[in-house]
Amino acid sequence: MFQLRQPGAGTLIASMLFVSVVCSLIYGVVAGTFSGGTQLWAAPVKIAAGLMISALICLPSLYIFTCLGGSQARLVEVFGLLAGLLMLMTILLIGFAPVAWIFSQSTESLAWMGALHLIFWFIATCFGLRFLEAGFSHSNARSLAGFRTWVVIFMLVALQMTTALRPILGTAKTFLPAEKKFFVAHWGDCLKGQDGASKSESR
Amino acid sequence: MASPLPDCQNLRPGSIGVFLRARPERLREWVLHRQLNLVLFCVVAIVLGSGAYGAVMGSWRGAWQAFYTGIKLPLVILLTTLGNGLLNGMLAPLLGLNLTFRQSLAVVLMSFAIVSVMLGALSPVAWFVVWNTPPLTATMRLSSPEYGIMQLTLAGFIGLAGIAGSVHLLPLLSEWARSASTARKVLFAWLAGNLFLGSQICWVLRPFIWDPARPVEFIGREYFHGSFYETVFEAARRLIFS
Repeated sequence: MFQLRQPGAGTLIASMLFVSVVCSLIYGVVAGTFSGGTQLWAAPVKIAAGLMISALICLPSLYIFTCLGGSQARLVEVFGLLAGLLMLMTILLIGFAPVAWIFSQSTESLAWMGALHLIFWFIATCFGLRFLEAGFSHSNARSLAGFRTWVVIFMLVALQMTTALRPILGTAKTFLPAEKKFFVAHWGDCLKGQDGASKSESR
Repeated sequence: MASPLPDCQNLRPGSIGVFLRARPERLREWVLHRQLNLVLFCVVAIVLGSGAYGAVMGSWRGAWQAFYTGIKLPLVILLTTLGNGLLNGMLAPLLGLNLTFRQSLAVVLMSFAIVSVMLGALSPVAWFVVWNTPPLTATMRLSSPEYGIMQLTLAGFIGLAGIAGSVHLLPLLSEWARSASTARKVLFAWLAGNLFLGSQICWVLRPFIWDPARPVEFIGREYFHGSFYETVFEAARRLIFS
């Protein structure tokens, strides 16, 4: 938080975003090795873009919610903390990448690989949110209730983004889906089609 | 009466952070010494914040519904505030809070401004929900689960913003009344009145998202018949006695 209040904070924020994009591209390549082919470039693009767009969508509400909690952080500082969240998340995902790759080469079950990636994402997000909360605790916030509400919104937006940008693991004829769905309905469809479902099914 | 805080400056359009972070003492000073500036700031916040959210709500139906709902939502808030202005101004001193009519109007507007700023901040998230909802087609019904999820989410955000606005108002009323119990009574009375009138204003100005039986219009003539409470009563009566 101290660094974000110093001159040159813009460079720091840009660096964090750059690292986030690079790490999410790398993790995306690992995720894409499950299906191979076009997913080797489509999955990294979708994961990187999805993360950035999710953060951008949730940034205004993060600033307002934390202001209501009494936080003295300015918008640029909130943006910096969010960039820090993304950087920590994606660096942790790189740590999970070898595990994800081994499972990608071992199984053909889309549902299992999808669940595994979601677990890794969830763990990485939890650590990232711990960082964000620690940052706000140094901003004279009187209450973190608004921040905790925002966490729920952010998680739901990120989960929905995975469905909006499908398929990330499987294959499909188009880059983006033609049909709009909520993530719960999509997961239900994937599980119902699980008898014999493999990487050749679109996700 | 406490002397003005030395830096009790006017609120400017970029002062959203200052407004939201302000402690009850600062809010009180604005109501006492910068009332016109505060009221103008709140009205602009209501128009822009809830206007943006309303436009997102209506965008699922189409561009015209987005335009109409972008006007209707701020209108609901402003009409509710003005319609209950006299009542709220009378209830406050009756319940032990020494506010003038103009001060009570400013305080209620402040609460709604907080609600609107939150709605404005949530409008990108709301837009994402609307974008992910299957579009209006011949098979879409009011009972479709996707429409239900979108409706619940949009209403849920309004509820969340409403709670935040009320929670933020309570310390100010406590600071003014020097009594938490008086503040709670006044807040409850204002909320009850605003909910009662606001529900009917919403009923008259509907639809905000979609009416499958009507083309897109600002207000249909048939919406002036009946009331929200009559409809709820009739539905309950049918449910109990059917």
